[in-house]
Amino acid sequence: MLIKLTGGTVYDPASGIDGQVQNLYVQDGRFVKQPAADVKIDKEYDLKGKVVMSGAIDMHTHIGGGKGNIARMLIPEDHRKDPVHRSDITRSGCGHAMPSTFATGYRYAEMGYTAGFEPAILPVNARQAHMEMADIPILDKGGYVMLGSDDYLLRMLTAKKDQKAINDYVAWTMNAAKAIGVKVVNPGGINAFKFNQRKLELDEQNAHYGVSPRDILQVLATAVKEIGVKHPLHVHGCNLGVPGNLGTTLDTIQGIGGLPMHLTHIQFHSYGTEGDFKFSSGGAAIAEAINKNKNITADVGQILFGQTITASGDNMRQHANHGFANPNKWVCMDIECDAGCGVVPFKYRDQNFVNALQWAIGLEIFLLVDDPWRVFLTTDHPNGAPFTTYPHLIRLLMDKSFRNDMLSTIHPEAQKMTTLASIDREYSLQEIAILTRAGAAKLVGLDDRGSLGEGAWADITVYTDNADREKMFEKPDYVFKDGELVVVDGEVVHTKWGTTHIVRPDWDNSVEKGLEKYFNRFMTMKVGNFKISDDEMTEDGRGSLTTHSLNSVS
Amino acid sequence: MSALTFTVKQATAQRVDMSPLTCQLLKGLSIAEIAAIELQNGKRKLRVDALFDISGSDTQIIFIKNSFDKLDFIAKDLQEGSVTIEGDAGAYLAMGMESGSVMVNGNVGLYAACEMKNGLLTVNGNAGDFLGAALPGNKKGMKGGTIIIKGNVGQRAGDHMRRGTLLIEGNAGDYCGSRMVAGTIAVMGSTGRFLGYAMQRGTLLLWQQPTLSATFNDCGSHTLAFLPILFKSFAKLDSKFADATQAFDRVQRFGGDMAEKGRAEVLVKL
Repeated sequence: MLIKLTGGTVYDPASGIDGQVQNLYVQDGRFVKQPAADVKIDKEYDLKGKVVMSGAIDMHTHIGGGKGNIARMLIPEDHRKDPVHRSDITRSGCGHAMPSTFATGYRYAEMGYTAGFEPAILPVNARQAHMEMADIPILDKGGYVMLGSDDYLLRMLTAKKDQKAINDYVAWTMNAAKAIGVKVVNPGGINAFKFNQRKLELDEQNAHYGVSPRDILQVLATAVKEIGVKHPLHVHGCNLGVPGNLGTTLDTIQGIGGLPMHLTHIQFHSYGTEGDFKFSSGGAAIAEAINKNKNITADVGQILFGQTITASGDNMRQHANHGFANPNKWVCMDIECDAGCGVVPFKYRDQNFVNALQWAIGLEIFLLVDDPWRVFLTTDHPNGAPFTTYPHLIRLLMDKSFRNDMLSTIHPEAQKMTTLASIDREYSLQEIAILTRAGAAKLVGLDDRGSLGEGAWADITVYTDNADREKMFEKPDYVFKDGELVVVDGEVVHTKWGTTHIVRPDWDNSVEKGLEKYFNRFMTMKVGNFKISDDEMTEDGRGSLTTHSLNSVS
Repeated sequence: MSALTFTVKQATAQRVDMSPLTCQLLKGLSIAEIAAIELQNGKRKLRVDALFDISGSDTQIIFIKNSFDKLDFIAKDLQEGSVTIEGDAGAYLAMGMESGSVMVNGNVGLYAACEMKNGLLTVNGNAGDFLGAALPGNKKGMKGGTIIIKGNVGQRAGDHMRRGTLLIEGNAGDYCGSRMVAGTIAVMGSTGRFLGYAMQRGTLLLWQQPTLSATFNDCGSHTLAFLPILFKSFAKLDSKFADATQAFDRVQRFGGDMAEKGRAEVLVKL
């Protein structure tokens, strides 16, 4: 089937095309060259005057894994308020802050998103996370495997194992858990929590293992680089949400010594201690550090006002924040000595000084980081806000007067503590395309995605240009996934199953000897069961695996 | 104007969501418009006139005749007027009711008057589990108003109850007043196991000796001056509780649940 998309205004940063009118041709799910004049076009879409981008990619969104289900169980009232009825082609579901899997897929697609990456897959829970994501229709998915608070790695560090052994362990775990990246959450802190430590500074030692977060970041960032994984170490740093954590974050950036590192939901790590309320914005300092250090990338984790639920592996910080739970119920738990989990419902309020300033800090970081290829549009769904708020967030970035109108309604003391009103920058469509498409695909390490160039997979979003960017981005005219039309006028018209993106770095088989002993002694399953096979992901006939290239390893 | 009356033609096999048929939602609608409203019936939709014969026109006084136990969500979020049910009612009767009155001649199902805010519910028959409770996962049950049950109630009556009065003339099942935050539950009949389980504050007023768990402490016998005032407040109700011969002021007092805040009291007639 040959499809022609005629006369759209194309924004494709991956190919360096910025708002040019172009025809696009799609055959068998991929973009192809303009065919010869005598080749029959099977279907033509007239896109004159429309904005064409590739399908958007959410590179950090909590859509799979046990904490999602805990979050769903914890807030049934949220689900009752937001039922999704079945139709002839879509299934029923519910939920605003943490929607059911099917509703997640439909709602992402209806906003023009075609891929989402779960950032916190515990190796021991990876099977469940992949099974849950296998129930998300339309979207491609993938995940970052969570290391850094697992006893095995900490034992290796205590035993002073060499970097090579750690590389093998990391590569082995990525293969076993079918991951595309590696994430570390509050490095070592989740483990330290079990030894009754309630906070852990960058250079503070784990009371039991004698290992500091800095050591863990160093070996993991080195491992990710040395095994050739393109996605840099995905770091949720120390001291999330603590006033004054700005210093920790800057120290983390300096301390990594030029290794590639992605700092996630950095808004939550950019707080100072100035002002009457001892809480101030570190947005400018963080943005400056990102601008200076080219090895650093960051997604923002913007908060937006309203009810949501925070679900994180960082049980140390979630435990510290449980007093703010709204509604007043929360969960903190250990997960099989691998990591932990904390789920706390949260209501961000614009008349609350802290929440209002958090909102402003996120926007400051978006607007003060110069290079759109190194900053990414996220709300850390559902932690800052549900992903359905993205069109509103895009409008805040693209429309200065709208932004300032919103700013004038928040807590007055917070308005005084932010420089947001003086920032003139407005994102262009091309920059939004970088943040949400080309840049995200590059960061995650996806081949042939996030681009409209020849040979790339045809994930396409078509919008009607509208000065109200929120309206524009919440309701695309068309969304194509792998060349198939899935959404028309913001409604799903056809469903399909996306693929799971992974990498397969090499490891030395000898690593399994030590792991086997460890698993037999301590874990709830054997090594053989721990590893997820390719068949498990694909044998139901709707899942598939797409293996992406690695950086060449010297 | 005569009362708006819905008479069930024939009971359905599947449950019916009756929430569109409340006084405030029907206000100002013609009979034809009411007849055309669609109700969810299992996985199908059913027109009102397919299920009911409709007569009368006063939307502030609604009668449901020949009612059966699969009519759920009757008088949900009721804000005004009165709803009278001749027969049984299904689950979630008068859920979230804000004002007005609901009267049932038969029995009612699960979660009757759950998260009720104000108003009066009278049931001549029995009530199911979770009377005046919170919906699953929610933190606050009934927040105000009065419930009179002339028959027996199931388990978990007043679970998470926050405020208001729950008057039970018959027996109460297990876990009566569990996780109660505040409010008053009075039971003339017997009570089951785990009475006041994890109760924080509030009052359980009993005519018969209960079986209490070890986390309730006996605080001795007392003559309480507030009891005559409380009974006087029941005087106008259509209930045995209004009968002056049932009143008393001398009680054995138990404090608990010590596994929780422990500021609740169980008062037993002496």
